[in-house]
Amino acid sequence: MTPLFVLKQLTKKHWDAQQNYDLFSDITTTIERPERIALLGKSGQGKSTLLRILAKLDFIDSGEIYFNGQLMNEVDSRTWRTNICYVAQQATMLPETLKDNLMTSSKIHNRSFNEELASSLMKEVGLDYLDWEKLAADLSGGEKQRIALVRSLLLQPKVLLLDEITASLDPQSKELVEKLLIKLHQTEKIAFIWVTHDTEQAKNISERIWYMEDGKLASDLKTSEFFGDQSSFPTQVIL
Amino acid sequence: MSLLALSFTLLFVIITMLVSVWRKLDLEKDIAIGTVRAAIQLLAVGYILQFIFQSENVLLIILIVCVMIIVAAFNAAKRAKGMTGVVWRIILSIATMEILMMGLLLSLQIIDATPQYIIPLSGMTIGNAMVACGLFLTQLKRETESSKEEIETLLSLGATSHQAVQDVLKRSVKFSMIPTIDAMKTVGLVQLPGMMTGMIIAGADPVEAVRYQLLIIFVFTSSSAITSMMLSALCYKKLFTKDLQLKDWKSN
Repeated sequence: MTPLFVLKQLTKKHWDAQQNYDLFSDITTTIERPERIALLGKSGQGKSTLLRILAKLDFIDSGEIYFNGQLMNEVDSRTWRTNICYVAQQATMLPETLKDNLMTSSKIHNRSFNEELASSLMKEVGLDYLDWEKLAADLSGGEKQRIALVRSLLLQPKVLLLDEITASLDPQSKELVEKLLIKLHQTEKIAFIWVTHDTEQAKNISERIWYMEDGKLASDLKTSEFFGDQSSFPTQVIL
Repeated sequence: MSLLALSFTLLFVIITMLVSVWRKLDLEKDIAIGTVRAAIQLLAVGYILQFIFQSENVLLIILIVCVMIIVAAFNAAKRAKGMTGVVWRIILSIATMEILMMGLLLSLQIIDATPQYIIPLSGMTIGNAMVACGLFLTQLKRETESSKEEIETLLSLGATSHQAVQDVLKRSVKFSMIPTIDAMKTVGLVQLPGMMTGMIIAGADPVEAVRYQLLIIFVFTSSSAITSMMLSALCYKKLFTKDLQLKDWKSN
């Protein structure tokens, strides 16, 4: 069976006026089937950059990425991003109303807007009280973050790349988002790679942990194994 | 105007230089260079125009219009440092505008097909289009940098390059047209335009001068719009890599 994702020796360099160095190097791993992966590691390890690379929003300096057996460079970027959708940490609202934001992917892809699905997703993330005609810029940070997620889910991607998407949510909203994504994984077979600094969240939402340290994928284990071995180096660091 | 009277106008340059020295603006060198260049360039153009007007050679008219477009393009392209291949895009935009404008003016017999009309009108519209291109490119750079997240959000939802920047392009085109539209609104109230003033000073009937000025204003408006829109259509793909990633303008 073709693996969902194959990452082969990915290297990303960091360039600036003062210096250039490997942000990360030699990242090699395989995702056999739609999995729930939590991506952990200290700030500055390149976790967000890795997600952006997987979404084809950033380039790799060397290495290869395959999705469903197809090499990333050989797949049209729009097709790639329709299947693999990146949700940024800073939720950016597009101009005009909340409804305009929800309708974005249907407008982009010239599809009819699935209002029923949008309503149901809005309810599941606890935003059913919002007036869809409200200006998106006037929403709170937590509301924006959940709308950005719903907006991406309406694209109905196969893989979600989630960059600390619950960082500004209250505990209840955070739980709603986690439950929704686990449900979508179970029912729709949506895979996700979720960058988080919250170890409890990582335990709750993932089946597998990627841990980045010193520019390497230092650990790639099942969640139970990762947190089970309290003596292991990354676990000690995290806990 | 006699040459003696013309030489007295240098007093204004001397005043400006004195202000620069007094306020330590360090502009004396630029003012001196600017004065000499303006005098040489305008005198040269005066003689060239005199020659072309007398010869009435179509090829010479086309040549001088082409030179104007090329010089305007190189000047406007300075606003897009870091973006490669922008000069020929500006040339194409301004040339298209010039062909359209002149085509309409001549085919509708709004102006006579003589160098006296074609060259000054072309110069003014090309100059105006150059300003519009410069403003468009300046604003495009600013907008692309400030709307990076918005553009990438659209890209991550599978947008095409045009879908991702269409609002940015719209705002930049709008910005490039502000001076022309503002000038149109306030003309006659705040300022008396150069061409009209020149005609009146030269002894033309003020109403006749106004008619020509109106023609210029209307031509300016559509020339800004056509040039900016065409340039936006030719430039937006330069903002992205072949993999549809937003480029850093500096490494464009």
